[in-house]
Amino acid sequence: MSKITRQSIFILIISIFLFIFVLIFSFSSLIPEGKEYRKEKTNLLIQKKDLQRYQNFESQTYDTLKKLQSDNRHIITAFDKEFSPKRFIKKYKSSFNSLEVTKVKELDSEENFSVYDVKTSSQISTPTVFYKFLDEINKSDWIIAINFPIEFERNGEVLNSSFKMKIYSNSKDSNNSELVKK
Amino acid sequence: MRYSYIKPRKKSIFTSEIKLVVAFFAMSIFMLISTYIFILIKNSQFEQDKINILNAKYNIEKNIESMKAKITYIEKQNSLSQKIFTKNSVLKDSIKNLFDLVPQRITLSKAKLLENGLVLYGITPNKDIYNFMLHAPLRSIFHRTYSSFYPTTDGWLRFVSTNYMDNEIDKIVQEERDDE
Repeated sequence: MSKITRQSIFILIISIFLFIFVLIFSFSSLIPEGKEYRKEKTNLLIQKKDLQRYQNFESQTYDTLKKLQSDNRHIITAFDKEFSPKRFIKKYKSSFNSLEVTKVKELDSEENFSVYDVKTSSQISTPTVFYKFLDEINKSDWIIAINFPIEFERNGEVLNSSFKMKIYSNSKDSNNSELVKK
Repeated sequence: MRYSYIKPRKKSIFTSEIKLVVAFFAMSIFMLISTYIFILIKNSQFEQDKINILNAKYNIEKNIESMKAKITYIEKQNSLSQKIFTKNSVLKDSIKNLFDLVPQRITLSKAKLLENGLVLYGITPNKDIYNFMLHAPLRSIFHRTYSSFYPTTDGWLRFVSTNYMDNEIDKIVQEERDDE
């Protein structure tokens, strides 16, 4: 009968200890954490894909915004610009023999835009000048709507004209009622 | 009596075999614990990445909302300005048509364009020319047309032509009154 040595007993004890340790450690910590790791990894992948989708949509929206901004640059700056009667007269005085702009009052906001009522009186040589002015007003620095009543009165060789204008703006205009002449 | 010439070694339980087994076991435990630590670190990293992704998504959402608001505002500005530009162009055409409407034999002294009407002041050689050449086209455009004449010293007639367009409700009321 072979004799079990102390050495063999020692190896057996530490083997059993290792086996128990591995079992307990694996089932209590390693396997749950491993499962958690796998779950988190999958979740993170989904989140990353979702983030990529968000980033793509953000990029598309940014492109749309930039395109809109570049296509409507004139309109955007025109709405941002504060109306200045002096600048208006300086710009359009060449079309008229005389031009007066009276800033009447601020109207109630229309579609969330500030609206100013401006009375304009001028002298023109022919109605053609007025047509040209109406063509140019659509390309002006401000968003201007020519409004009724519009009056034309012959005064010798010239036509006196008076009309109202509505100025549409984003910002509140600080100018008070004033009369500016050419 | 001595049987051996060497001194007896001190016997130890940690023989080279046991040392090898212990080293192997220690290595195994070390690998297990390393794997566990690696998983813990990774999980913590994933958690951090998840928080970062959520933050990034929140910022992107905010940015998209802000850009969408800007797009809506620009579209609104564009729509309003197009409406205004069209109105100005229509107005130009209306004024042009008005002046084209007036025949050469009639001279206008004043024209007043209103929201829903037109008042013309001028001189005509006689009533017939006015009626055929100006009154008739004005009647075809406006719903109500009134004319009054005043003789001038040179035999011509000074006229005031007042023309109104009824809105649809007024038109119906007017028609009902006419029927009565």
